[in-house]
Amino acid sequence: MNKKEVFKLAKGFRGRAKNCIRIARERVEKALQYSYRDRRNKKRDMRSLWIERINAGTRQHGVNYGNFMHGLMKENIQLNRKVLSELSMHEPHSFKALVDISRTAFPGNKKPVLASKKEGLAVVL
Amino acid sequence: MATLSLCASSLAAKSAAAPALSSTTPSMPLSQSQTVAFLCHSLSSLRLTTPCSKRGTPSSSFVPKYSETEAAAPSLTEPPETEIVESPVQQQPKKEEVFAVVMIGSRQYIVIPGRYIYTQRLKGAKENDKIILNKVLLVGTKTSTYIGKPVVPNAAVHAVVEEQLLDKKVIVFKYKKKKNYRRNIGHRQPITRIRIMGITGYEDSPAVTLP
Repeated sequence: MNKKEVFKLAKGFRGRAKNCIRIARERVEKALQYSYRDRRNKKRDMRSLWIERINAGTRQHGVNYGNFMHGLMKENIQLNRKVLSELSMHEPHSFKALVDISRTAFPGNKKPVLASKKEGLAVVL
Repeated sequence: MATLSLCASSLAAKSAAAPALSSTTPSMPLSQSQTVAFLCHSLSSLRLTTPCSKRGTPSSSFVPKYSETEAAAPSLTEPPETEIVESPVQQQPKKEEVFAVVMIGSRQYIVIPGRYIYTQRLKGAKENDKIILNKVLLVGTKTSTYIGKPVVPNAAVHAVVEEQLLDKKVIVFKYKKKKNYRRNIGHRQPITRIRIMGITGYEDSPAVTLP
C-alpha cells in the first residue's frame, strides 16, 4: 500500500501512528489483520449475544434458553437466534406466544416458575 | 402466465400460492414472462415476475406510501417506476402493524411493508421485478401471531427489487509473519435492495391471539 492509502486508513490513530509513515504502516497493517480476523469472530460474537438476549427474554417467562430452544426444535419452528432475539426485544407478545408453544411442546418446561416475591422481615415479624 | 415456479421444493405453500397470484393478473399479456434461475438452492423460495407496464391502473405509485420509510430509498431508482408497478395483491392486507419473518437465501429477515431490506444478491432479478417470498416463518399483527412450523401456509411476502448494487468495499489483508507473505485485496459483495410491498395469505392459518 502506498503512503497515501496508509495515511487515509490511519486517520484517528493515536500518537505518531497517524503521522509517521513507518509507524503508521505498521499500525495499519496490524489493524487490517485484526479486521480480517474479527470479521470471522463477529459471527460467533453476535450469536452469543443473541443467545444472551433470548435467555434474558425467556427467563422472564420462567423458561431457560436451552429448554426454550428444545421446545422450538420439537415444534419444528425454525426461527434463528437473530430473529428470536429481535422478537424478544421488540415484539414481546409474539415472543410470549413462542415461549408458550415451547412450554407445551416440552414437558420439562411445564411448570412456569413464577418469580416468588421476596418477603421482607416485616412479614415474618 | 408471468409466474413460473422455480426449483419446486416440498413446501406446500408454494404450490398453493401460485394460482392465487395468477388469478389476479388475468389480462396480462404473455410477452413479459420471464424465468429467473437462481443458482443458490437456498433461494428456492423465491418466485419472480417481471412487472408488466401495459396494465391500466397507473395511479398506484408505491414509493412514498408508508410514512415510516427511510428517506434515502424512494427516489434513487429511476422515475418510471411510479407508473409501472401495480400489483392487485398488495391491497388486501391491513397496512399498519404487521410484520413477518421471511427467509431469503438461508437468512432470515424481519420485514415490514413499506420498508426496504438489503439481501444477498438475487441473481437474475432485474430492477422493478416483483418477487414473492414464500418462506414466511412468522407473521405478527397487532392482535395475533401466526407461527409457522416451519412456514406459515399460503403466506407470502410481496416485494419489488429496487436496486442491484455492491456493498461497501472491504479490504481483505492477508498476512503471514516471517514468511514474506501479504495480500491486499478489495472486495465488494454484490447485494440487492428489495422493498416490501405487502404480506398476504396468512389470515386463514391458525393464530395465537395476543392480549
